[in-house]
Amino acid sequence: MSLATPDPAVALTAPAPAVAHRSSHVGQWSQFSGLYYRELIKTFRNPLVLAITVIQPFMWLAFFGSSFENVPGGISSLKPLLCGGNIGCLAHLTSYTQFLLPGVMATSMLSVGMFGAMSTIQDKRFGFMKRILITPTSKATVYLSKALGSATRGLVGIPVMLVAALAFGVQFQGDLLMWAGWLLGLAFLGFGFSALFLAVTASSTDWQTPGVIANFITMPLMFASGALFPSTNYPTWMQYIADYNPVGYAAVLGRDVVVYGTIDWTYLGYLALFAGLMVLIGTTIAAKYLKVE
Amino acid sequence: MPIDAIVTHGLTKAYGKLIAVDHVDMKVAAGGVFGLLGPNGAGKTTIIKLLTGLSDITEGTASVAGFDVQAEPMRVKQNIGWVAAEVILDDDLSAWENLWLQAKLQRLSDWKDRADDILKYFELGDRRKDKVGTYSTGMRKKLEIALALLHQPQVIFMDEPTIGLDANTRRMLWQLITGVNKEFHITVLLTSHYIEEADALCDQISIIDQGRFVASGTPSELKSRVKADFIEVETRMSVSEPKLRQIPGVSEVRSEGKAWILKVASAEETLPRVLETLKSDGITRINVERPSLESVFMDITGKRIDHPGPDVQDYRKFYANLRRARQ
Repeated sequence: MSLATPDPAVALTAPAPAVAHRSSHVGQWSQFSGLYYRELIKTFRNPLVLAITVIQPFMWLAFFGSSFENVPGGISSLKPLLCGGNIGCLAHLTSYTQFLLPGVMATSMLSVGMFGAMSTIQDKRFGFMKRILITPTSKATVYLSKALGSATRGLVGIPVMLVAALAFGVQFQGDLLMWAGWLLGLAFLGFGFSALFLAVTASSTDWQTPGVIANFITMPLMFASGALFPSTNYPTWMQYIADYNPVGYAAVLGRDVVVYGTIDWTYLGYLALFAGLMVLIGTTIAAKYLKVE
Repeated sequence: MPIDAIVTHGLTKAYGKLIAVDHVDMKVAAGGVFGLLGPNGAGKTTIIKLLTGLSDITEGTASVAGFDVQAEPMRVKQNIGWVAAEVILDDDLSAWENLWLQAKLQRLSDWKDRADDILKYFELGDRRKDKVGTYSTGMRKKLEIALALLHQPQVIFMDEPTIGLDANTRRMLWQLITGVNKEFHITVLLTSHYIEEADALCDQISIIDQGRFVASGTPSELKSRVKADFIEVETRMSVSEPKLRQIPGVSEVRSEGKAWILKVASAEETLPRVLETLKSDGITRINVERPSLESVFMDITGKRIDHPGPDVQDYRKFYANLRRARQ
């Protein structure tokens, strides 16, 4: 390390005088975009995290899809179970992977909030949260940037899964608008769960918390959603959960597009409502309870 | 810039029953280097957290750079910089990216030329694209100060900036801190428990103990308060207080752990008498403290500045109490 005196030839300007402003409000867009971009940089610079984020959904399709694909009688024997009396389904469903794909994509959004929560806890434990909050950045801004950052991270796997599904021979239905609606629905789902996750862990500094919560919410919400099997075969209490489970809405929204080539826009509205509500609740919680360290 | 960069009235922070900062009144003149000197756990870092809006004030008022900390925290944050005790940077980003993020957080649009100049000033220009995780401790400290300077703040808070550094790096940082104050005309509030650091860098010092200011003034004013020397002595055998009190020239006797601290008018005259009196008790350590900030602290509090108080001797117990109090 150099111990030389700082270079006096480099003249730096004196600080600008403090000016009394009438309003104490300070805009947050610059801080939000900076923190959001930091989240992206940290994701895309970590090859292992990126690889696993991309490979994991592919493995879902490969292992889960293939295990059902090869049942005796193939898709024909599965159709009554998967489609019930749905004529459209019976007519268009060509493989279990086709049925499974929208469900897996919706399920993959369940735990994306874990990344944001881990990143927040890391910032708290290493002191970086103090560095952020000692600038004119609100806790709500930090929260929103983390939530959107982890939702974006979750969406990275989507194109990979679509390519993987093509490789597995899945035939897609639907037009561009329907696909845009479905992908937007997935984004809402990821943002909503990310917001929920970060709100629950706002006051935590324990590394274990995000993993425990991920395990806790993933299993029941995944199975009580219709993501893997039609919810019509569920017992009543599970159907009740499925009726309000946003994962199920995203799965059915996607299945309508991919398998039948139709879309129910009210499902997209429900997912937007879910995301909006989670962000609103989460922002309020984070503004009050987000710990600095 | 207001005449006083920092003003507090009755500043108090309580965690339940634990009073971390106890009705502190302070005025820090603009353009100076103000030192908060005290042992670990005295409340120095808590004062910085209160003044920077990282922690809520329990009672009292504070203004920094002319803005009320509670009413206009964002305005305060636009006008302050911060250098932490532990170096806090994003190790996954380069120096330039850390500066970029700081510019975003401070809402700066025209920052690149200044960032360029600052990196040259701190001799980091050649390594700007390298990840900060590959930097030496000294370079990381420099970059941390660079971040604190980027948005041209009025006040920089430096919380134990040289703690844990080797002597060379510490001297280099002293130079930088003086440079930041003199060349950038920025008010510096510095906390330290290093006597020589506060003495060398600060125009004004407040000595803090158990959350309260116990003395304030310039280093020379503080030192002139104590017209006595201190002899600190440790013996193998147990020694009674009356035995020490009867030594001619000893005006006060206090115990600190295994040691005795004797306040004497003149160490030259009294030291031979102390040695004579205790020669059969097996002296294991003896130390003479001339008028210094250390002796000021000893005179006021009865303990050395680097000696933790009873509540912080067991750190696990102290932090457990703090956590309980916060809940």
